[in-house]
Amino acid sequence: MLHNVKDNYITSVKEYVSQFEEKSFRKLASNDFKSWPSPREETWRLSRLGVLSRKKITPITPNFQKKNASLSKFNGSKIIRFVDGAFREDLSSKLPPGSSLNILGEEDSLRCFHKFKDSNLKDHPSTNVSFSCTPSIVKLTIEKDVKLRDFFEIIYEGGDNNLSVHPALYIELKDNSSIKVIERFNHLSSLIMPLQLVELKTNASINSLKIFNDDQQSYNLSANCAFLADKSNYNSFSLIKGGLFTRSETHAYLKGENCNLNLNGVYLSSKNQHHDLTTAIYHDVPNCTSKQIVRGVLGGKSTGVFQGKVRVAPDAQKTDGQQMSRAILLSENAIANAKPELEIYADDVICAHGATVGEIDDEQLFYLKSRGISEKKAKQILITAFLKDIINESVEGSIQNFVFEEAELTLSEIISKEI
Amino acid sequence: MSLLEIKNAKLKIDDKDILKGLSLTVNKGEVHAIMGPNGSGKSTLSYMLAGRDGYELESGEVFLEGKSLSEMEADERARSGLFLAFQYPVELPGVGGMSFLREAVNSRRKFLGEEELDHLAFVKEARKVASKMFVKDEMLKRAVNVGFSGGEKKRFEILQMAMLKPKISILDETDSGLDVDALKIVSDGVNAQRNDDNAIVVITHYQRLLDYIVPDFVHILSDGSIIKSGGPELALEVEKNGYAGLINAA
Repeated sequence: MLHNVKDNYITSVKEYVSQFEEKSFRKLASNDFKSWPSPREETWRLSRLGVLSRKKITPITPNFQKKNASLSKFNGSKIIRFVDGAFREDLSSKLPPGSSLNILGEEDSLRCFHKFKDSNLKDHPSTNVSFSCTPSIVKLTIEKDVKLRDFFEIIYEGGDNNLSVHPALYIELKDNSSIKVIERFNHLSSLIMPLQLVELKTNASINSLKIFNDDQQSYNLSANCAFLADKSNYNSFSLIKGGLFTRSETHAYLKGENCNLNLNGVYLSSKNQHHDLTTAIYHDVPNCTSKQIVRGVLGGKSTGVFQGKVRVAPDAQKTDGQQMSRAILLSENAIANAKPELEIYADDVICAHGATVGEIDDEQLFYLKSRGISEKKAKQILITAFLKDIINESVEGSIQNFVFEEAELTLSEIISKEI
Repeated sequence: MSLLEIKNAKLKIDDKDILKGLSLTVNKGEVHAIMGPNGSGKSTLSYMLAGRDGYELESGEVFLEGKSLSEMEADERARSGLFLAFQYPVELPGVGGMSFLREAVNSRRKFLGEEELDHLAFVKEARKVASKMFVKDEMLKRAVNVGFSGGEKKRFEILQMAMLKPKISILDETDSGLDVDALKIVSDGVNAQRNDDNAIVVITHYQRLLDYIVPDFVHILSDGSIIKSGGPELALEVEKNGYAGLINAA
């Protein structure tokens, strides 16, 4: 089951990784990861990895005996399970017709690797490390014209102290196909470095929900790369609530006309958590729309970061790109950073962006209190509304309640400490 | 015991004297109108009564049924039976009208020692009251005040008043932004709630509203204190001669 890829892949990754820093394949990992981006690098300035470079971390050897699998949360969903970063067929569902799951051989692994390498994720630490250390790259293929109504529930779990976990998933949706995916990250005390490549062919559509809920000793540096062809639709929502340090970075390339992309998200942070949603959207062709709505609620000494880059190429006329980030701070010691970056080289486009960081609105609070509602309850109502609003807009009806409950669970913990 | 008693209320905002010794007594069953020109302190008075942060009295006192308000937060005052209809009702995106109303009504009921209403009973009650106020069901499903017209906002305020059954209601410029038809609906809603056990204080610029909600007493507020009190005829005098004449005479 484990890596059956051969010399070419290994040589190729080795060469590439050694450019990343003068450490060789595997050795790089076993001798501590020393090659973390420094705070001088613009995209890592607000999310520093200094702590990691002082830790001795080695890649995990997946334990195929582990059975402590967390349960599915949905009736009828098709489960795809990764334990310690390795795909576990024995703990996964049989897939429906029109879909298949394969472990990539050498040639395909290389191809996947090069797609990442050609993107702007080429310097992301997970790209560099996980392509060397992943047990295998797993590919989910949805055939042409296949539209699957049941959810794929992808569960990532396992992990252990001072070990790193490297799941790698490649999702390809052929023409006119569509799927709905729920991904849940539930690792213990690990450094998790997931890679994901999503390729949407003409008129393909994916609804994606990611819930980051690793334990509070974990680091998660997820790197996601998406390519969208004509008329394809990528609708994604991330809920970041777990981990000591969680950064979800997604780069999306709009390569075909009339495609639509939503990269929305919510982060809920408390104690000394650090949460980061970083996105880059590349409008390379005309007539596409993209939207990013990000909201955060922070308590304790937590930090939230939203970095959103939108690049509109000179040819990408009639682009519609929207970006909005709002954060509510419930504690004086919490910090929220927002860094919108718009690079627009076309002249006939609509691009809007905005960012606010603040406390709960005074007037709204007074209005609720003047109706006899206690201050605590009023704050709860307002924060809940703040999240409900975006969840309802971003997530399809049948799972809105699930997402909302997942959020509310964490929210009530934060609120009970702060108000 | 009077229902509401304001005794020599003084209040500063940013070091500027706004209320300069205002006194007023309101008994059960009465409707009082407070009229005054711009900047006389009308809205400050309503915020002070409702307990908004930053509107604490510097000296003087306010009693609701003999109980001092000074130590009470806005929510406690509301639960005790004080209601403020806002001049500019606040939008609450994401907060559904029905659940907002239910939270408010149950807070008050709990305070009164009454049983909280379950969802079904509440919805039934809310719909009944809403139809009297010409508030459509659909409006209760929307987020509070979001996308409401001026008239809808004011109707929703009076709907809240009807649901909460306050002892004393302060209507802050409820007529502003209303056309004649809307004014009539809102006034009918208010009048329907008048009884021997409660009282209403109407704060307004214009006499117009007082044609619909007829007061027992009219007070002229100028420069932070009440300079003249009288019956409904005082409002007509304002309408005829303006505030200037009254203020100069005082």
